[in-house]
Amino acid sequence: MYLIGNITIYLGIVIAAYALIANILGIRKHSKKWIESARGAVLSLIFVSLLASFLLLYFLGTSQFQFEYVASYTSLNLPMVYKLTAFWAGNAGSLLLWTVLLCLYTGILVFSKEKRNPMMPYVSSILLLNILFFFTVMALDGNPFAMTETIPADGKGLNPMLQHPGMILHPVTLYLGYVGLAVPFAFAIGALILRRMDAEWIKLTRRWTITAWLFLTLGNIIGGWWAYLELGWGGYWAWDPVENASFLPWLTVSAFLHSVMIQERKGMLKTWNISLIILSYILTLFGTFLVRSGVLTSVHAFGSGPLGTYFLVFMAFMMLFSIYIVMTRYQLIKKESIPIDSYFSKESSFLLNNLILVAGAFAVFWGSMYPLISEAVTGTKINVGAPYFDSVMAPILLCLILLMAVCPLIAWQKATVERFIKNAIWPLAAGIVSAITLIILGTKGILAVIGLSSTIFMFATHVQEFIQGTRARMRATKENIFRAIYKLIRKNQRRYGGYIVHIGIALIAVGVIASHAYSEEVLKTVNLGESFTIGDYELTFKGLTETTDKGNGIVVADIGTTYRGKDVGTVQPEKVFYESWPEPSTEVAIKTNWKEDLYLVLSSWENREKITLQVKVNPFVSWIWAGGIIMIIGTAVALVGGKTSTVGIWKALRSGR
Amino acid sequence: MNKNKKILSALSLIAVALIIMIFSSMPSATSKEITITDIVESTDKFEGDYIMTEGLLNKNSVQWNADDIELRFEIFDQNETSLSVFYKGVQPDNFTEDVIVIVEGFIGENGVFEAEKVMTKCPSKYEGEDMENYDSEMHKELYNDLQE
Repeated sequence: MYLIGNITIYLGIVIAAYALIANILGIRKHSKKWIESARGAVLSLIFVSLLASFLLLYFLGTSQFQFEYVASYTSLNLPMVYKLTAFWAGNAGSLLLWTVLLCLYTGILVFSKEKRNPMMPYVSSILLLNILFFFTVMALDGNPFAMTETIPADGKGLNPMLQHPGMILHPVTLYLGYVGLAVPFAFAIGALILRRMDAEWIKLTRRWTITAWLFLTLGNIIGGWWAYLELGWGGYWAWDPVENASFLPWLTVSAFLHSVMIQERKGMLKTWNISLIILSYILTLFGTFLVRSGVLTSVHAFGSGPLGTYFLVFMAFMMLFSIYIVMTRYQLIKKESIPIDSYFSKESSFLLNNLILVAGAFAVFWGSMYPLISEAVTGTKINVGAPYFDSVMAPILLCLILLMAVCPLIAWQKATVERFIKNAIWPLAAGIVSAITLIILGTKGILAVIGLSSTIFMFATHVQEFIQGTRARMRATKENIFRAIYKLIRKNQRRYGGYIVHIGIALIAVGVIASHAYSEEVLKTVNLGESFTIGDYELTFKGLTETTDKGNGIVVADIGTTYRGKDVGTVQPEKVFYESWPEPSTEVAIKTNWKEDLYLVLSSWENREKITLQVKVNPFVSWIWAGGIIMIIGTAVALVGGKTSTVGIWKALRSGR
Repeated sequence: MNKNKKILSALSLIAVALIIMIFSSMPSATSKEITITDIVESTDKFEGDYIMTEGLLNKNSVQWNADDIELRFEIFDQNETSLSVFYKGVQPDNFTEDVIVIVEGFIGENGVFEAEKVMTKCPSKYEGEDMENYDSEMHKELYNDLQE
């Protein structure tokens, strides 16, 4: 068994290297045989990587502590689901997960209906280069099948913070996103090598890019949700370098998803799109480097080792390679670029959107790297904390919301100002009315009011788009309202899917703005029977009890809660003492209604009758999760619909060959 | 000047504006990362600066006043120089012997560090990679590595 595990890793290196060489030979010699052989090799790579994964899952599931990885992350009393998800608890398993996903993606591509596409050998080679890198790193420093010297009786167990449903979803979704970006990158480079300057690579990879973006979105939101529920500091995003690492590619891919529309329709922005996708891909490697190298001071302390260096070297290699390819083809790209027709058009507004998203990415990058930069320049490590990110990203978010509010109203090519004003009048009115209402209601904080009313403006624009479209359909086809809405979306899924995503973002924006501006916090030591108030809540300490559950000791505080004088039951924040972990961990208690969360942490206790509580009221945080779900639905709508027909192009190409 | 160039120049103006914004919000939001020895040796120099520092916790020095929610403790670095910290707040998770504590705040005239943020860092918090030798020796080593 041990042998099979190790063999799979080394076999992976050999097969990946072989497939790479076979592809190159096939391209050089125009030999179908070699290409065919490389395809076969990809199939065996899938087999090998799946075998390695199933083996690791089997060892984890059956607690074979002779394996270092199993002993380091699991223990006998761990529930089965966490035994299995310990797969990605450490470096070695994460690398294997990344590798197996890469192999599967490559397999799907080379056996897809595009397999005879002349670009495919190039695409496959670039992906194989990645696979080769990952197998090599596993062999050098991250073998999931390394053995322990003596077999321990029990493993070290999984960190209690990782024993949460978030652990099942968050890493996998992020990896699916990270790995997915390799596909459009490979296509972009493949197209460049072949000097294909059309939007073909974009059309072929549209679904891949959107899927990757979908998973990045999911990964980030689930990460925030997990942090909110588990870490007990009452927030969902701390601008930690590790979080920023996964937010950066999200920003650049969001920009890319918009700018490719211009290339598809108009053939513009070719260099820009290629640069964006290269950047996004490089950022996925950069993120992994940041996370694994330990160069930055982060509360997420990942083990530091040579792993980060490998990623840095590979990243530098891929970056130089891409720059070389772009530079040598630059004249060609430039020759075929087309100027913009009008200043006031969707094209220009998309350009602005891109600029702001990329500026946001730069700001996040700059803030995360600043400690290193300042240390290099002045010798003192200067950290920029959450205040920097908040003050920079707030105006950027505001600009984006305003752009989203006006963008759908601006026509392609040449928009007229009169028509735009006519369309914008109602949504703008909704925004202004809400601003006035908020001020009359006594909402404090002028910036938050501007942010919230802009969000309502943006939301109203999108609602208006749906209403106008539905009305037009009902008039034209005499359909009933539900059928008309359904048909409207069905007929133009890319557009309306995108709008649904924007509506999700509107909900998230409300949550983010409100929870930043209006959250309340109380730290209080209370005696038995003592009450105190926060917001509309009155909390009473009713008792401290101890229980045990599956070998874990739990200390529970019973807190009676009333909301606006009405009894809403008892909430129970906990501290759990895990059998296999030296330190207790906090279990947050949350009571949610539609507009706010009551968030309770049991900080400490002196005796049974005296405890210290940390209580927060976080307004509209649940809207962030709801917005996330809507974003996913919208992305799904855009993903399944909107087939870009490539059949015509293929026919033309084939007959021309 | 054709339209493309005009649009490009307008966009670059906006880009410049954004970059100025990014830089202008830097100084208000920075913390200097300084070692405990430096802080203790030249307290005056850093007066008024928002400082971030880290050290190992001396568990015996922890004084917790539940009624006023006040926490006092000492952290020390590899030169065994220790720094008293005062914090109006609660103990974070993992607040035990020899854990690396990160504090942010100001150094007071009396040499007591008034923390606005107290965080603990455990090398094995998310990654169990170093778990096989999980002991205070390793923590100290790791901490020394960090200082280099």
